[in-house]
Amino acid sequence: MITQAIIKRKKAVLPYVTAGVPSLDVTGEIIQALEEAGATAIEIGVPFSDPMADGPVLQKASYMALQAGFNTDDLLARLKGWSTSLHIPLIVMSYINPLMRKGLQRTLKSLHLSGVKGVIIPDLPRDAQEIYTDCREIGLDLIRLVAPTTSKERHSEILGQCSGFVYAVSIKGVTGQRNALPSELRAQVGMIRNFTDLPVCIGFGVSTASQVEELHSFADGVIVGSFLMDRIMNSQDPVRTAHESLRELLNDIQA
Amino acid sequence: MKGYFGEFGGQYVPETLLPALEELDAAMGKAFDDKCFWDEFNSYMVNYVGRPTPLTHAKRLSDLLKLEVWLKREDLNHTGSHKINNAIGQILLARRMNKERIIAETGAGQHGVATATVCALFGMECHVYMGSTDMARQQVNVERMRLLGAEVIPVTSGSATLKDATSEAIRDWITNVDTTYYLIGSAIGPHPYPSLVRSFQEIIGREARHQIISMSGSLPDAVIACVGGGSNAIGIFSAFLNEDKVDLIGVEAYGRGNGRHGASINFGIPGVLHGTRSFLLQDKNGQVLETHSIAAGLDYPGVGPEHSHLAVTKKARYVLVNDEQTLAAFRLLNRLEGIAPALESAHAIGYLSQYCNGHEGNKVLVNLSGRGDKDIHTVIGSGS
Repeated sequence: MITQAIIKRKKAVLPYVTAGVPSLDVTGEIIQALEEAGATAIEIGVPFSDPMADGPVLQKASYMALQAGFNTDDLLARLKGWSTSLHIPLIVMSYINPLMRKGLQRTLKSLHLSGVKGVIIPDLPRDAQEIYTDCREIGLDLIRLVAPTTSKERHSEILGQCSGFVYAVSIKGVTGQRNALPSELRAQVGMIRNFTDLPVCIGFGVSTASQVEELHSFADGVIVGSFLMDRIMNSQDPVRTAHESLRELLNDIQA
Repeated sequence: MKGYFGEFGGQYVPETLLPALEELDAAMGKAFDDKCFWDEFNSYMVNYVGRPTPLTHAKRLSDLLKLEVWLKREDLNHTGSHKINNAIGQILLARRMNKERIIAETGAGQHGVATATVCALFGMECHVYMGSTDMARQQVNVERMRLLGAEVIPVTSGSATLKDATSEAIRDWITNVDTTYYLIGSAIGPHPYPSLVRSFQEIIGREARHQIISMSGSLPDAVIACVGGGSNAIGIFSAFLNEDKVDLIGVEAYGRGNGRHGASINFGIPGVLHGTRSFLLQDKNGQVLETHSIAAGLDYPGVGPEHSHLAVTKKARYVLVNDEQTLAAFRLLNRLEGIAPALESAHAIGYLSQYCNGHEGNKVLVNLSGRGDKDIHTVIGSGS
């Protein structure tokens, strides 16, 4: 379903929002607004106390959510309602520890039952074959990240255990906005396409409409996280801000 | 499985770092097979670090506790702790890998000082991440690092202690992975770090085993070391792991007790932090808990994966010593033996007053992993 949604949309945009910022109630409203603004799918981020792949903005978002009393069971309880009311796929992005706490398999099953279509885990173990197999059996896509440093051999291993789409990490670095994205990105996406027919979406560092437009010329989709969360955290009206910010990024793209 | 100690360890890292870990693993394998590498390492151990460190028979402490206490004097190493063994080993490796920029995390500042020292020695750029809470309580070490030419970068996120400094060092590494060598300070982190760090700390165990046999005539009944990440403990345990009759005891920081401690093995649940699966202090949602110990070097919610494995396979046991007992031990060792232990190492000394009940006359080898000059202010500030 995630694959279809991205292919159908062509110039896909996948916003990321940290769950529980400023509250789970508002997160629910934000994702509705993002669908209306033209999102192709939505990534719900599970806050984590030690987000080692995240830059300052998403660190702060995690911290705020946890300070506000976020807990995983509350999120699981909400996801069902959210996925039912949306027409686009929900994806959960989480560090592995919160997913493992009550058993990884059990948590993945709960996510599936809540209508979540895929998961992204930035700190999967090196050998993720077993987790991939579990996801397939449960009916979840396991979206894998491919980095600019990833070797050819590793491409083949990762992309043989990937479904939904491929998450191409644009930069060597943590999440967060960048003024310029590396010129090798096009070649990186080309490399990925040698190994898979899955759609390729680019994330990390995207924050302007012109970047989105540029990336759409060779990738199937763009993921936007820190840019949105920075706006949301600094807004008096986060729902409206989320909507406006995504519209701004989509610029002249037909939603 | 490669990179695991039983069910613990592994490589749970962002994809960006995997090639760097592979490169490190390959360089480590090559260096370890090369006699020249170990010759160079041993030469620095002797001529720069001042090894072998002595084994001291603590006679007055022994009389008091009715034990036979032997102290492995890692406090007498250059820079004042066992951390220099690992720093020398890893900097030699980094040089072989042609890395020019070194980053490190530090808690008590001992590893930061050791890293800044070897960077000065080899003329390399050094950046040390340190929690701002730790910078305040270990100010002397901050100044030492700066004198050695290192940049000390305060980390204010989370609890602003060792765990947050480690996360920030990993973020730096992800960003500068091509040029940068991450010189991790304990037997934690993703494979191959736990094995790498252990390999450089095994020298403690090798020396101590030889010394205690030649000085006392036989193996000890027990080997005791403090455990934060666990590098000094794994270093000394390594020489006794095949001795069924030697009781290996790791001492965890019990802080103020009741949820305010750093005792990962005693109270943690297996989980993933900083790239490795090990016992971890976490809540029911899998969020990592804030820890507390009077010893900054033990103020960490995780523990090296090999210790988790030793614990579940019962090859070692892990006990608790709290802040108060540690301070008492610090004072006791000063008075009876003329030695100021680091507050980390004072946990190991502190366990002796529990151990002596029922073990009268036993011979114990304690790893005195560092010296306590850095902690004088904390001890004085604690009153009592």
